[in-house]
Amino acid sequence: MIVKVNNLVKRYKELIALDHFNMEVEEGEILGLLGPNGCGKTTAINCILALLTYDKGEIQLFGKKMTPNSYDIKRKIGLVPQEVSVFDNLTVKENIDYFCGLYIHDRSLRKKYVEEAIEFVGLRDYEKFYPKKLSGGLKRRLNIACGIAHKPKLIFLDEPTVAVDAQSRNFILNGIKELNKEGSTIIYTTHYLEEVEMLCKRIIIMDNGKNIVSGTKEELKDMITTTEKIVVSFMAIDEETERKMKNIPHVIDVERNGEDFVIKFENGFNNIANLLEFIKNNNLSYVKLYSQLPTLNDVFLELTGKELRD
Amino acid sequence: MKGLMRNILYQTKNTCRNTSFLFWVVIYPIVLAAFFYAAFNGIMDIELEDINVGIVEDNPVGFILDDIDLVNVKIVKEDEIEKKIENEEIDAFIDSDLSLLVKKSGIKQTIVKEVVDQIKQMVKLNRPMNSYDFSIDYTISKNQTANPMIIIFYSLIAMVSAYGLFSGIESVCLIQANLSNVGIRINATPLKKFNFLIAAIIVILILNLISNCLLIIFVQYLLKLDLLYEIKYSFLFILLGNLFGVLLGVLIAVSNKLKPNTKTMIGMIFLLFLSFLSGMMSPDIKITLESKFPILARINPLTIISSNLYRVNLLENTRFVKEGIIILSIYCIVLAVISYVFLRRRTYDSI
Repeated sequence: MIVKVNNLVKRYKELIALDHFNMEVEEGEILGLLGPNGCGKTTAINCILALLTYDKGEIQLFGKKMTPNSYDIKRKIGLVPQEVSVFDNLTVKENIDYFCGLYIHDRSLRKKYVEEAIEFVGLRDYEKFYPKKLSGGLKRRLNIACGIAHKPKLIFLDEPTVAVDAQSRNFILNGIKELNKEGSTIIYTTHYLEEVEMLCKRIIIMDNGKNIVSGTKEELKDMITTTEKIVVSFMAIDEETERKMKNIPHVIDVERNGEDFVIKFENGFNNIANLLEFIKNNNLSYVKLYSQLPTLNDVFLELTGKELRD
Repeated sequence: MKGLMRNILYQTKNTCRNTSFLFWVVIYPIVLAAFFYAAFNGIMDIELEDINVGIVEDNPVGFILDDIDLVNVKIVKEDEIEKKIENEEIDAFIDSDLSLLVKKSGIKQTIVKEVVDQIKQMVKLNRPMNSYDFSIDYTISKNQTANPMIIIFYSLIAMVSAYGLFSGIESVCLIQANLSNVGIRINATPLKKFNFLIAAIIVILILNLISNCLLIIFVQYLLKLDLLYEIKYSFLFILLGNLFGVLLGVLIAVSNKLKPNTKTMIGMIFLLFLSFLSGMMSPDIKITLESKFPILARINPLTIISSNLYRVNLLENTRFVKEGIIILSIYCIVLAVISYVFLRRRTYDSI
C-alpha cells in the first residue's frame, strides 16, 4: 500500500471539509478521486502532503507517517497542483530544470530528465518561452512537466485539465496513462466523469468531504439499481401513452428531456425488445432509439440525489 | 552547497527579469534622485554668504563671533535693533544674555542659533570659550559647504538601501503555501524553506547593493554631487541598511496571514514613515526631531544610516559609527531570530 488514509477529519471552523475520509492506493494503479467542486478533493491531497493541518485521522505514505519534515518521502512524490504553479520570470526549460533539480542533484541525469519532460509534454518549441506567453493549455502542460520531470513513484494530479482546450486535454490524459505505464502510481482528482472513466482503474467518489463509495468502474455501476438507460424520441405521443411507459417490464423511471425520453431499467433482459413491443402496441413511431449503460454520473446521482456537475 | 548555488542562480534570474523589481529598485531611486535634484537645485546652489550678526558693543561673546569666518559682526545700538532686523541689515541679533532675535527662519539664522547654543553649552560646562571652534559644523572643506539639502540625498540612499524589504516579502510569499501557488509546489518538494530563503537573501543583497551603487554613481557623476568620501563606513552602513530591509521584509511577510499586496503596502508605509523621520521629505523634520526627540533619531534605522553617511562623509566625524553599527546589527539579529521562529516548517490551517 503506497497511500493509506484513515478517518481523516479536517474542519475550517464550523465547516467540515473532510469527514472521516478514507483512501487506500496500491502501487502502480491510477486512482480517481471524483467529486463535485468543493467536495474536499484538494483538501484531502493537501492534508496527505502535510501542507494542511487536520483535526483527526492518520496518513501514511510508503508505509511511513507523513509530516512536513518527511523529506525522504517527499523525494518520491510529484505534485501537479490545481493552479499553475511556476515562476513567472523563468522560461519553460528553466522552470522544469529548477523543480527537477530539487530532487535530482546529478547534473547529467537532471539534464536528461528535463529533456524527457519537455518532450513528454510537447513543449519543445516553447522551451524558451516565459509562462505568460503560453496559452492556458500549454501552461497546464508546463505545470505537469514541473511535477513529473524527476520521475516520482507517486504523482498527485489535482484537476490538471481544468480550463484546458480539447487538444491539450487529450495530450495530458494520454501522458498520464504513459506515466502510469512507466511505473508511477497516480492519484488523479477531477470532476470530469469521462476523464475518470478513461483513466482510472479504481475510483473514489466524494461528496461533502466523505468518500461516498469506492471501487472499479464496474463495481460502482453494479451498486446502483439502474442497469440500462434507453433514450427514445417519438414522432408524437399523448400523455396517456407517456404514463403507460412506466408499466413496461423492469422500468424504474422515465424522464422527459426535451423531445427525448430517458427510460431507466433495473436488472432484467430484453429491455429494448420490451420497449419496441410497447411502441408497436401503441402505434407509435420513433425518430431515434438507443441504449446506454449507466455512467458514473448515474452512480453519483443515485447515491447523492444530485448531478455531479450541480 | 550545490543546491544553494542553484537556488541563487535561478532566483537571480527570476528577480532580474521581474519588471516590477527593475522599476522600483533600480529605476525609481534614480528618478527620485533626479527629481530631488531638479526640485532643490536652486537651494543647493546657494553659496553661503556672510552672516550679519548684530550685537551691542559690550557683548561678552563678541570676540568669539569675530573669530568665525562666516559671521560678520555689526555693532548695533539698542534702539536700532528692531529696525535693522526689519530691514534685514542684520540676519540675527545676539543679546548679552545670549538670547537671540531674528525676523525669519533660514539657514543663516539656524547657524547663528547653533553657534549660540554651543556657546551656552560651553558656559554651562565652565569651559573656556576660546578653546572651541564654533564654526566647525558649518565650514566644511567639501564642495557641498553648508548645504542642508544634501541630507535629502543621504536619506534617499538610506531609504533605497532598505528597498530589499519588497523583495524580502516576495521571496517569503514564494515559499509559503498559503501565500502563493509556487509555495504549494515548493512545500511538497524536499527543499527546505530555510535554504530557499538564504539564497533569496543573498540574491536580494547583491542586487540591491548593485542598484544602490547605480544610484550613487548617478548622483556622484551625473548630478555631480559629491556624497561619498569615506567609502569603508559608507559601504558598511549601506550594507547594513540592505540587510535590515530584507529581514524586515521577511518578518512582515511571515508574521501574519495578510495578502501579499497588503504586506507590501505595510512595508511601504513603514519605510516611508522611517524615511520621513530621517529627513527625506524635508531636512527640517530631521533637525526638529533630533533636537526635540533625540531618541527617535538614535533608534530610527534610516536616520542612523543617513546621519552616519552625512557625518562620515561631510563632517569627517566617526564618533557615532560604532553605535550606529551596533544598533543596526541588533535590529538585524532580532528580525532574523523572530522571522526564523515564524518560518519553521509547518503545516497550514488553510491554503
